[in-house]
Amino acid sequence: RTVQPKTPSYWRLFFALSALPRMFPTLPLRSRWPVAQCGAQQCGLGGDPSGTAQVQLRTRLLITCLFGGAFLGVWLYFRREKEQQQKLQRIQELKKLSLGQGDFQLVDHTGQPRSKANFLGQWVLLYFGFTHCPDICPEELEKMSQGVRSREDEPGSAAAGPVITVDPERDDGAAVAKYVKEFHPRLLGLTGSPENVRKAGRAYRVYYSAGPRDEDNDYIVDHTVIIYLLSPDGLFLDYYNRGKSEVQIVQSIKGHMETYRRLGS
Amino acid sequence: VIKMSAPSMEERKACWGARDEYWKCLDENTEDAARCQKLRCSFESRCPQQWVKYFDKRRDFLKYKEQLQAGEYQPSGTTEKS
Repeated sequence: RTVQPKTPSYWRLFFALSALPRMFPTLPLRSRWPVAQCGAQQCGLGGDPSGTAQVQLRTRLLITCLFGGAFLGVWLYFRREKEQQQKLQRIQELKKLSLGQGDFQLVDHTGQPRSKANFLGQWVLLYFGFTHCPDICPEELEKMSQGVRSREDEPGSAAAGPVITVDPERDDGAAVAKYVKEFHPRLLGLTGSPENVRKAGRAYRVYYSAGPRDEDNDYIVDHTVIIYLLSPDGLFLDYYNRGKSEVQIVQSIKGHMETYRRLGS
Repeated sequence: VIKMSAPSMEERKACWGARDEYWKCLDENTEDAARCQKLRCSFESRCPQQWVKYFDKRRDFLKYKEQLQAGEYQPSGTTEKS
C-alpha cells in the first residue's frame, strides 16, 4: 500500500505559503482598477504603478516559489523515507511468514532430515516427481537442471534443486538419489513417510494419485507438473509449468535475482 | 513381489527411441499397426509395460488432438443438446 498524499492539507499549505510574501512590509499595492478609468491622482494613489509594483510581484512570486519548492523537497524526501521503511517492514513480515509456509519434513538419500530451513540462503528450484515417470519428469528435470546450471556461473547465487517424490512407497532415498544424480549434481532427492509426503504436497498445492497397478505391480502416478522458484529467504517467487521452456525459466530466474538484489535484502 | 527399480537414463532413452521409431512407422503407414509389428515388438521389449500402455494412450490423444485441430472431428447431435 502506498501513502496517499493528503490533498486538502497540501492545498491549505500552499495558500498559507503564498500569503508569506504579503507579510513583509511592502510599498502600497497597485490599484486593481486600470488607471484610465480612475485617474491615479483622483484615487489618491501615489507611486509608480508599473515599475516597482511589477518588481514587487516578481519578488513575491520568487519567494513563494522558493518556499514552496523547499517545502515540497522536504516533504518528498520524508515520503520516500517512509515508503522505504514500509517496504523493508513488509519484507521482514513476509520473511517471517515464509518460514511457516511451504515447510516439509522429509529425508534425503543419506537419511538426513531435511526441511525448508535447510535451503535458506540459496535460490531453490523445487519439483515434485517420481522415478517411474515415463516422460514428463525427465523433461522437467532437464529444464530444472538447466536452471540450476545457469546459476553456477554467477558466484554467490548457487541454486539448490530439491526433488520430492510423489511415490514414497517405491521411491526410497537410494532410488531418488540414483534418479536425480543423472540430471545434475545439485539436484537433491527427498522422500519420507507417505504422510509427510502428503503434507509436503498439500503445502505446495501439488496433487498426485497413483494409477491402477498391472501384473508387475507397476503403476504410474498422475501428478501436478510444476517447478517452484523460492528466494534465499524462502519466499515463493514464481512457478513454471510444462509450457515454460528452458530459456524462459532461466530468464525468469535471472529477472527475479535482479529484483532481489535491488531490494537489497 | 520384487520391487522393480526404475529405468535408468540410458534405458529411458532406449525406450523413447524405440517408441519414436514405432510411431514413425505408424505415421508412414497411416496407423496400419500390422506393418509395424517388428518395431512394436522392439518397443514393447524396451519399455516397461505401464509405459507402453501410457504411450499408446498418448498417441491416441495426440492423433485426436490433430483431428480436432484439423476440424475433422464432428460432435454427435446428442451431445449438443446436453
